[in-house]
Amino acid sequence: MTFLDVVQAVLETYFFFAIGYFIVVNLTYTFFLGLSFKEILYYMRHNSFGNLRLLVQSEITPPVSILAPAYNEEPTVVESVKSLLKLNYGTYEVVVINDGSRDGTLKRLIQEFHLYRSKRLYLPSIEAKPVRAIYRSKKPAYRNLVVVDKENGGKADALNVGVNVAQYEFICAIDADSLLEEDALQKVVKPFLEDPKMIAVGGIVRIANGCKVVNGRVIEVRLSNKFLPIFQVVEYFRAFLSGRMAWQGLNGLLIISGAFGLFRRSAMIDVGGYRHDTVGEDMELVVRLHRKMREWRRPYRIAFVPDPVCWTEAPESTKILSRQRNRWHRGLLDAMLIHKKMFMNPSYGVVGLAAMPYFVIVELLGPVFEFVGYLTVVLLLLLEALNIQMTILFFIVALFYGVMYSVGAVLLEEISFQRYPRARDLALLLSFGVIENFGYRQLTTWWRVKAFWDYARGKKGWGVMHRKGFEAGKHESSIQEAR
Amino acid sequence: MLTPFPIEFMIIVTFAVVATLFVILISVALVIHKAIEAQKIWREDRLYEEYSVLFAELLLQELPSPAFDAKPSAVFRQYDRLIAPIQAKLKGFSTRRRRRHRHVLQKVLIDFAQDLSGEAAERLVYFFYAFGFVEELCQLLKSRHWWIRAQAARDLGLVRARRGISYLTAALEDAHPDVRNQAMQSLIVLVGVEALRTIFRISRELSEWTQVELSVIVMGFKERAVPYLIEALDSSDESVVLFSIEMLSQIGFVAAVDPLLNVLSTHPRTNVRAKAAEALGRLGDGRAEEPLLSNISSGDSGLRLSAIEALGRIGSPKAVQPLLRQWERREIRERVLIARAIARCGEEGLSVIRTIAQGEPSLNTAIVGQVLEELGYLEEAA
Repeated sequence: MTFLDVVQAVLETYFFFAIGYFIVVNLTYTFFLGLSFKEILYYMRHNSFGNLRLLVQSEITPPVSILAPAYNEEPTVVESVKSLLKLNYGTYEVVVINDGSRDGTLKRLIQEFHLYRSKRLYLPSIEAKPVRAIYRSKKPAYRNLVVVDKENGGKADALNVGVNVAQYEFICAIDADSLLEEDALQKVVKPFLEDPKMIAVGGIVRIANGCKVVNGRVIEVRLSNKFLPIFQVVEYFRAFLSGRMAWQGLNGLLIISGAFGLFRRSAMIDVGGYRHDTVGEDMELVVRLHRKMREWRRPYRIAFVPDPVCWTEAPESTKILSRQRNRWHRGLLDAMLIHKKMFMNPSYGVVGLAAMPYFVIVELLGPVFEFVGYLTVVLLLLLEALNIQMTILFFIVALFYGVMYSVGAVLLEEISFQRYPRARDLALLLSFGVIENFGYRQLTTWWRVKAFWDYARGKKGWGVMHRKGFEAGKHESSIQEAR
Repeated sequence: MLTPFPIEFMIIVTFAVVATLFVILISVALVIHKAIEAQKIWREDRLYEEYSVLFAELLLQELPSPAFDAKPSAVFRQYDRLIAPIQAKLKGFSTRRRRRHRHVLQKVLIDFAQDLSGEAAERLVYFFYAFGFVEELCQLLKSRHWWIRAQAARDLGLVRARRGISYLTAALEDAHPDVRNQAMQSLIVLVGVEALRTIFRISRELSEWTQVELSVIVMGFKERAVPYLIEALDSSDESVVLFSIEMLSQIGFVAAVDPLLNVLSTHPRTNVRAKAAEALGRLGDGRAEEPLLSNISSGDSGLRLSAIEALGRIGSPKAVQPLLRQWERREIRERVLIARAIARCGEEGLSVIRTIAQGEPSLNTAIVGQVLEELGYLEEAA
């Protein structure tokens, strides 16, 4: 047996492994699509009977603390805070955490909101970098605003300080550049009121590129006229409407986006808050919540609200998108390694036996298998050992499943929230569900494979994210996400 | 190397291609369906408009007063005459068309019901009965789908169909919370404040969401709801008792003090007693002072903290010394609460806090600094 024969045998074996893997993964996807459909239908029906305005009218609506970490956001911070102060909800406070900004973020806040140095005691329940000062406003209109100035420690550290300062039991963690729907808090608080076991609720994050934004609110939903954001819209539908919705149905949701999530403060403190040493602190926290609750045998639920609550600006260049995907994948890898004990461990129930294996085998290793698959095809072709029939068959079926899953996610949006009112937009989304399989999918696979290399090299940063800003005609801001 | 494709291969490929085409076809169908739906909605809107105009006329039409000795049913005969042409028209339609018209008709009547009062409202309710909608809704309350039952419960309330009361009362024990909540709200509309008695008697394990919904209703009744809330303090269901305590404190009616004092001293559960302490504080009645003072050293932290906070709200100088005695014994978060309560106990309490503030900088001065700032004494706090 020559060396070439061995290589050929290995590659052919891999090829068959890939086919088996592919079948299992796609059956899972199909199951998720069906489960999500059921969950969304239930949500839609259930919500048609709940008048969210009651949460504004009632005297017993639980108050919420919104945590907005800010780092070097001088150009946008005032507008963002003003928009948060205008939310339609009963009692809530906005806690802005200035994470040792090097620009004039704090100065702008002090000037604009007439802040004074408060005597409020800082009693940390979670360890974090020192707090320099707490500020309150002299103006009664901003009496629900608290600004905390602290030493730089990263987003996770800033959020932990926010949890320490927050007065209320419900904590809403958001990104400073997130655009919230006016009734966002009402939508995410409701699951907590319906189920006392609820400890965290995630909201759907949508892409605002192309939408009309006025005074920090999305007033008209449209697709961007650029390719990359549209691909991401389809991806977000797949991830949120299909993936997360299905996992929440199984109480195995492992991620709540850092851009918008509501948590029970006591649960957050019990598990020790956010970890500082990971780039995927949002996912790591949720996995830890699952882990600890199950270890302590506390009944709990983590849910997901598919109603649009939060809008974010998606990267429009491949360079920035690649950094974002790279970071997300490193975060996923980190969270899985930190909690490897849960993998296939029956003591963690559905999380250990289903969610963790899914995230490891499909989400984490999927790009690797796919990438190696492409390489295998090329090598087998060079060795003139490629089974052309099987390859063609594989690609056609792969394309079918890819299209079916993407189109299915778009259909979920169409039967539920219909936030893209124009038939043109719907047609575009459906066609991008097909087109993305030729090029875009392979590109994201490569970025995610590269994340393993970066992780192995010890890369921990976030990478620089340049944002254009939401409102046309406004300044362009550059947000340094790297801490 | 390229070999002729076997038949199995061709079958699988054909299947995949057909399936892909099928998905694409579904997508195209969806886009077309969206356009058709828009058309259907437009047509339905037009029909809605037509019926709205027609029923606005029928509801506002002056009817001759029935003769002095006429039976009450004479009025109903007049109403019947008004809608007779519509009923005749509906009879002539095909089943599908009739269903569509009846659907829109029901929608119009329900929407009108929310804005009408007096004789016009009675006339509308009669129309609703005459078209058979009430019977239909009562039957729908037995549907096996919870969303249909919830919708029927809601609609019965919206059209004020009193025939639905017994069905709605039964729906208070429905397995699905949305049906129970809709039934609750409809019963309130149909029966008024007295419905609270039935609701509190039948309801079990009220979720916080249900409590939010009920709170808005109860606050609408204000003191008229107090007797029912007091009655509910004896409920065997803890959530009903906690909700009643909360509402009594929100309404702020003095008649609630004695029953709440009774709960504070006799209820077997400490969380309920803590809630009663909190409510008594909000009511601010001096009679609660002694019972609250006896709880500031309770071993149960929830009850203790509620009692301390309540004493601060009542603001009696008599509480200053007992609270001060607790001050040194407690951990920092509780001390903030005690300081806050003392500062609210009149001039005497405030001067105690000011004295502490003037001492050497320490944890205690920091605590009272925060409290003074909260009370608006910014300069003293500084």
